[in-house]
Amino acid sequence: MNNKGAILPAEDGVESAVIGWLKEALSKKVFDALLIPVEVPAGDSFAYLLLRNPALLENASPLPPVMPVQGAKAISRLTMRGNGSKRVAAIVRPCEARAAIELTKLEQAHLDNLWLITVDCPGVLPLSDYLEDPVAGAARFAEASQRWDRAPMRPVCQICHHFSMPASDLHIGTLGSAEGTVFVIPGSPKGERVMENLGMPLDAALDDWAARVKEMEEVQRERRRQAHTDLKAGIAGPDGLLDVFSSCINCHNCQRVCPVCYCRQCYFESAALKLPPENYLARAGRKGALRFPPDTLLFHIGRASHMVLSCVSCGTCEDACPMSIPVAQVFSLLADRAQETFGYVAGRSLEDPLPLVAYEMDELHQVEQPYVETYHGLQIADCEQEVQDA
Amino acid sequence: MSDKQEFEPRIIYILCSWCGSGGGETAAAHHLHYPENVRPYRVNCTGALPTVHIIRPLIEGADGVAISGCHPGDCHYNDGNFRARRRVALVKSILDTLDLEPERVWFRYVAHGEGRRFVDTATEFNDHIKKLGPNPLKTRSDT
Amino acid sequence: MLEGLKINKGAEEAVRDLLRSLLESGRVSGVLALGRTGRGNGGVAYSLFTDPDAFGADGVALPLLPFMPANAGGLLSRLTLKGPLAEPVAVVVKPCELRAFIELVKRNQGSPDNLLLISSTCGGVYPLEVGANDALEERLPGYWEAVKQGELDSDIRPTCRACVHFVPDNADITVALLGEADLDTQCALYLNTEKGAAFIEGLEDLQGTPLLGELEAEPIQRSRDQRAAYREELFAGVEAGLEGLIRTFGRCIGCHACKTVCPICYCSLCYFDSQDCEYRPEVYETELERKGGLRLPPNTIFFQLGRLAHVSVSCVGCGMCTDVCPADIPLSTIFSKVGDSVQALFDYQPGRDVTEEVPLMTFEEEELVQVAT
Repeated sequence: MNNKGAILPAEDGVESAVIGWLKEALSKKVFDALLIPVEVPAGDSFAYLLLRNPALLENASPLPPVMPVQGAKAISRLTMRGNGSKRVAAIVRPCEARAAIELTKLEQAHLDNLWLITVDCPGVLPLSDYLEDPVAGAARFAEASQRWDRAPMRPVCQICHHFSMPASDLHIGTLGSAEGTVFVIPGSPKGERVMENLGMPLDAALDDWAARVKEMEEVQRERRRQAHTDLKAGIAGPDGLLDVFSSCINCHNCQRVCPVCYCRQCYFESAALKLPPENYLARAGRKGALRFPPDTLLFHIGRASHMVLSCVSCGTCEDACPMSIPVAQVFSLLADRAQETFGYVAGRSLEDPLPLVAYEMDELHQVEQPYVETYHGLQIADCEQEVQDA
Repeated sequence: MSDKQEFEPRIIYILCSWCGSGGGETAAAHHLHYPENVRPYRVNCTGALPTVHIIRPLIEGADGVAISGCHPGDCHYNDGNFRARRRVALVKSILDTLDLEPERVWFRYVAHGEGRRFVDTATEFNDHIKKLGPNPLKTRSDT
Repeated sequence: MLEGLKINKGAEEAVRDLLRSLLESGRVSGVLALGRTGRGNGGVAYSLFTDPDAFGADGVALPLLPFMPANAGGLLSRLTLKGPLAEPVAVVVKPCELRAFIELVKRNQGSPDNLLLISSTCGGVYPLEVGANDALEERLPGYWEAVKQGELDSDIRPTCRACVHFVPDNADITVALLGEADLDTQCALYLNTEKGAAFIEGLEDLQGTPLLGELEAEPIQRSRDQRAAYREELFAGVEAGLEGLIRTFGRCIGCHACKTVCPICYCSLCYFDSQDCEYRPEVYETELERKGGLRLPPNTIFFQLGRLAHVSVSCVGCGMCTDVCPADIPLSTIFSKVGDSVQALFDYQPGRDVTEEVPLMTFEEEELVQVAT
């Protein structure tokens, strides 16, 4: 399906080309509505708008400088209770599309009547950087993304190697396209039908795009490998880890903004961890003190055990942390390693079953503790020593 | 005697209600002994064991967590032990990435009639944890 | 009853020694106070201490640190939610944290039994960001200089600079800080209750002279006037009307962090997180038809107005909401402003008196005639 695409003229830049294309699709009733980031009235942020009125596209952007809300959350809100009757096109970043795919597997979204449309992604700015001066931030983003310079972007955007076409229905390829044009690439039969309805023949070769994407992917993979090696050394063991989380105030922002964390009531806020005072005093007595509220480390490691298999390393958690803890960096490291254990890549395909739902009879033997023979162990050895000493 | 004998590990031995606990009962029937500081913790099936129940003891005071359930193919609920194996793999991956001694978590199958294997696991794990020493996480008050 | 004690040590040392003595003597089983976490390189959190050494000169406890990583009123609720303490525990909290706890006790979310409540006349706290950047230490000399003169350091949170409830009600012991020029060498402890006096009496390491001063002296009054003026100024800056609200909350991302850190928001499952707010696609489609466009996720302003309706009557203006907001929205100003008018409507002051009923939990037969027509 990735063999051919269409060429979309983009003399005035990617943004206006894509918006124009979407306007056309709306007016031709190829879609009933769009879900797209739109600048808020005060001009200091972007919010996802579900719209059918093309006039609202005036302040819309397919590639805004920030990701205040992870798009998969918006998609999930819309479709968690089922498929709508309207055909909606959601214009999202690749990581948002991947999270939407994970949420669909987790039955928190339904994609039958929703088209995922993605764009080659240079990353987004950290939200706090942008909020300091939104106008300057937007300019900085525009300039850097033009050159594919990821230096001003979120730390996990800087090491992202999933910046191009995920399993979306349509993808706008901006890498490797001729000057003043972009590629429109179908990723599914649903996507192909849209291009047919829009009269876009699939006659453009995608070799240049594919080559450029591959080249960038390799650079990014190496950056990721290096960053993760450095990070792992820095957070190793109780000392390293508790240093990183030493300023955590248990606000749980990271959990709340995470697209994959969908539980209405998080286990770590439930009655299971609300204990009588004797419990807290006993623990405080045993350790000399008890951080309050307790269970900070349990929250982070426990939350990791609940969601890293579906973590798409989008970085929204780190943006939301008021104490500037590198949560996304830590979690993207944990996610890569855990997903690797199961040969799983979050958001790669709807067909990949969730690792904790599927299993093989013959796998993961490295986790089993081998039992070779009857254990005599230290006890016997000590007895023998006693006999010897006597 | 030696220093290592002063450290008595606090160990949680998670057992399923069928084979795991059964192994314990068979051991008792044969008058086999295992260290008193190994505390059994019974779950209905290892497949029902949440990942948090492996992590929480390691933070709050346990030096080691061992998990025993039915052999593959023998799970009373058909595939609980396969799911458990995946969850244990997930927890071990996280602990390993964070350098938090995943070797403090053991996963070994013990059948209903395997009394010897049950006490061997408890004893071997106890000795293993004695060698590793106390869990550094359990004395941290800032967890 | 001894009403006050002037201790011949600097305030920080005096308070640390007091807490250490309380633990060592066994008069309390624990102390909830601020302390360093990690390897002492930046993180600060509340801890329930049982080891007296934590309050030694090299210990990790920092009871008077001008920082609020969590509203301790909420923490006291967490501690006593499942039942009252069976053993005494001392706590060092700010006035707004104490007021929040009283509000929670009124709602059956905690119990004051066996708690020795220690507070102080408050010189404000620094924003969370200062802690995140590990810049608290360098602020402290400036902070204490200002406090001695009855002033607030310029970097103190706006919420604190606008706070007029900085003298604690309902504390068993009040440490006089604001306006005490000799803080480096002397520490005045006001013993407001018999309980407070009983815990202190005869404690070793607490040599001092009986105190016969007034807490509400001139520096306190001056600070209150300054802060009241700033409060008016701050409130005047709130953009009102629907247009104003849309501008202010335009960048709200619906993370609900403000709710999580708010001490008064104690619901295990917030209404706005419940199934009631999970709409079927048809609901969105109908809205879309009507308006041409709608923001997703929905209920940005609804959440804020709803939370105002739920908590404003008890809002103590602690400012945790503003501190934690990832979108830099001045929530505390808005909530305090609305809180003030709602509280005036019912002639109610949160945290003033534990026997004073929460206005929405009680009523008079004859009242509020202006509402019903």
